[in-house]
Amino acid sequence: MIVLGRRVRLEQRLVQPASHAVIVPLVSVLFAVIIGGIFLAMTGHSPLRTYGELLDNGYTSFYGITDTLGLATPLICTGLAAAFAFRMNLYSIGQEGQLYLGMIGGAWAGIALAGALPKMIAVPVVLVFGALAGAAWVAVPAVLRARLGTSEIVSTLLLNYVALNLVNYFIFGSAGYFRDPTTSFPQGRPVAESARLEPFSFFTEKVTNTYPTFLISVLLAIVLFWFMRRSNYGYETAVYADSPNTARYAGMNSAWLQSSVLLISGALAGVGGAMYIVGPAGKVDPGLMQIGLGYAGIVVAALARYNFVAVILAAVLFAGLRTGGNALQASTDPVPIAIAVVLQGAVLLFALGGELFRRNKLTVTRVQAATA
Amino acid sequence: MNSNIWLLTFADAISIATTLILASLGAMITERSGVINLGVEGMLLMGAVTAFLVGDASGNLWLALLIATLVGVALSTVHAALTVGLRANQIVSGLAMVIFATGLSQFIGKPVEGDPRPVQIEPIDLGGLSGIPFFGPVVFGHDIFTYLTWALVAAASFYIHRTRPGLLLRAAGDAPATVDAQGGSVARIRWVHTIAGGALMAFGGAWYMFARGAAWNQAATTNGIGWIALALVVFASWRPLRAIGGAVLFGFTLQVPFTLQAEQIRILPPTIVAMFPYLVTLAVLVVLSTPRARRLLGAPKMLGQPFVRDER
Repeated sequence: MIVLGRRVRLEQRLVQPASHAVIVPLVSVLFAVIIGGIFLAMTGHSPLRTYGELLDNGYTSFYGITDTLGLATPLICTGLAAAFAFRMNLYSIGQEGQLYLGMIGGAWAGIALAGALPKMIAVPVVLVFGALAGAAWVAVPAVLRARLGTSEIVSTLLLNYVALNLVNYFIFGSAGYFRDPTTSFPQGRPVAESARLEPFSFFTEKVTNTYPTFLISVLLAIVLFWFMRRSNYGYETAVYADSPNTARYAGMNSAWLQSSVLLISGALAGVGGAMYIVGPAGKVDPGLMQIGLGYAGIVVAALARYNFVAVILAAVLFAGLRTGGNALQASTDPVPIAIAVVLQGAVLLFALGGELFRRNKLTVTRVQAATA
Repeated sequence: MNSNIWLLTFADAISIATTLILASLGAMITERSGVINLGVEGMLLMGAVTAFLVGDASGNLWLALLIATLVGVALSTVHAALTVGLRANQIVSGLAMVIFATGLSQFIGKPVEGDPRPVQIEPIDLGGLSGIPFFGPVVFGHDIFTYLTWALVAAASFYIHRTRPGLLLRAAGDAPATVDAQGGSVARIRWVHTIAGGALMAFGGAWYMFARGAAWNQAATTNGIGWIALALVVFASWRPLRAIGGAVLFGFTLQVPFTLQAEQIRILPPTIVAMFPYLVTLAVLVVLSTPRARRLLGAPKMLGQPFVRDER
C-alpha cells in the first residue's frame, strides 16, 4: 500500500516482544479515553473535569477504590468465564444470563439451606449452588455445540434474554419463592444471615462495599492460571484451540473438551452471581441487571488477552470506570453513565486493532522516484 | 376471543418483519462475503437513536433516515477496517461493536429518553386493496418502506444468484483464493459488502424507530431483535427470499406477547411469555443444526476466516 509517496508494509513478526503485551492494552485505553473525550466535548461536558472526577470517584478516593473493588469482584468472575471459553475459540456470550442464574441459584441455597448451616459452610454452599446454576444455564448450548455443532454465540446470547425475564418473573411476576413475603413491594426474599459476609473495613471505622469475595475472585484467577498451565486438561484445551484437527488425531475427545469448557465457563459466571448474594445484595435483586457485568466480562477478557491473571487488572480498571461513571451521573453536571460503556467498547475496538501491531511490524519506506 | 386482534397481530408480525428482513439481509450479504458481523443489535440501536435525534432536530424524515444509514456505514467501516484491513477476530470485533454502540446510543440518547418519536412513518393508502378481507389489513396496510424492503429482497436475491458481482461475492465467502487467483480483490468485495450490510442494518433500526417504536428507550427499543436477525440468517440459509417467511414467523413470536397482554389473556405470566421469541429462535437453531438440515443449509465456507494471500 502506498500512502503519500511512502510504501507502508506490514511484516509478520517472528518474535513478539513481551513489552507489547503491556503496551498495546495501555495504548488502547489511552485512545479510548481520547474518543470518549471527543464525545464528552461534543455533548457539552468538559473532558478534563469529567475524567478528573472519574479518576477520583473510581480509583483514588477511599470510597471510590473500595466501591470499585466490590464491583470488580463479580466482574473478575465473568471476565474469567469469557476468557476461559474464548481462549478455546468458544465464543459464549451468555455470561450475563449465567450471572443472573448464579444469583438465583445462590439465593435459593441461601434461603433453603443456609439457615441450618454455620457461616463457614453456608457461604461456600451458596457459591457452589451459584456455580451449578450458572453451569446448568449453559448446559443446553454446550451440549448442542458439542453434539450438533450449533453456534454457541447466538444460543448463549438468546438465553440471556430468557434469564432476564426469569429474574423479572421471580421478583415482579409471581409471589413465588424468591419474593419477600413480608412486603407487597416487589423485592427479593433475604437469604439467611449465616450466608452473608461482612464487608472489609480496611482498618477504619467505615463500612465499604468490598467483600471478602474479592479475595476469592482473585484466588480463582490465580488457580485457573496455574491449573491451565500445569494440567493435562489445560494442555489439551490449548492444543484444541490451536488446531482442532491435531487434537482429534492425538485422540482428544473434542465433544468433552468443548462441553466441559463451556460448562466451567458458565460455572465461573454463576459464582459471580452468587458472590452478589453473599456480598452486597443478600437477595435476588434485579439491580444486577442494570450493570451489564456479563457483557463487560467479555471486554475484560479480551483486554486481558484471555490471560487469567491479567483479567484481575482489567476488571478493576473497568469496575472503576463504572463506579466513577455512577458518581458522574449524580454530580452537579450529570454525565450519563453510558459513557462508561462507550469507553469499554472503544477500549476493546482499539485493543483489537492493536493486536495487529503485536503480530506485525509496520515499515514505512520512501518510494524511489522512477528515473527516466 | 376477538378475531380482529389476531388479524392485527398478523399485520404487526409482517410489519416487525421489515426490520428483521433489513437487518438479516444486511447480515446476509456481509456473511456471504466471508465476514461475520455480530454487531447487528448495535447497528439497529445506533440507527434508531440517530434517526430519533436527527428527526427531533430537523423534523425531516428523509434526512433522519439518511443520517442514520450513514452512521451504519461509519460503524461497519470500523468493523471492516478491523476485520478485513487488520485481520482482527471477527467475532470479538462484532461484540465490541455491540458494546460500543449500546453505550453510545444510550449516551447520546439520554437527553431524549422517553420522549415520543418526533416524526412517524405512516401506512400508505392502497385504495381498494385494503378493503379485501384478511389480506387488506394484513398485507396491504403497511408503509412504503415495507414494500420497498420486499422489493429489495427480490433485488438482493437476483444480485447474489444471477449477476457477476454476486458470483464474486459468493466466491469471496466460499473460496476467496479462487477470487484472488482470478484477479479479483477479496478485500474490496468484503469491504463493500460489510459496509453495505451495516447501512441496511442501521436503516432497519431507523425505520423501526419511526414506524414501530413509540418512544426512544435504549433497553427496550430493539430488545434483542438484532440477535434474532442473526439467527434468521441461518434460518434463511443465507438466501434472501427465504428470509421473508422466517422474518414473519419471528415477527409473529415477537408480537404475540403484546397481543396476549393487550387482550388480557393470562394463560401465563407476561414475563414468561416474553421469553418465547428467544426460546422459539433457539429451538429453530437447534433444528437447523441437525446433520440433515446442515447439509441443506450451505453456510459460506470461509465465513469468519480472514483472507491472507501469502499464507495460501
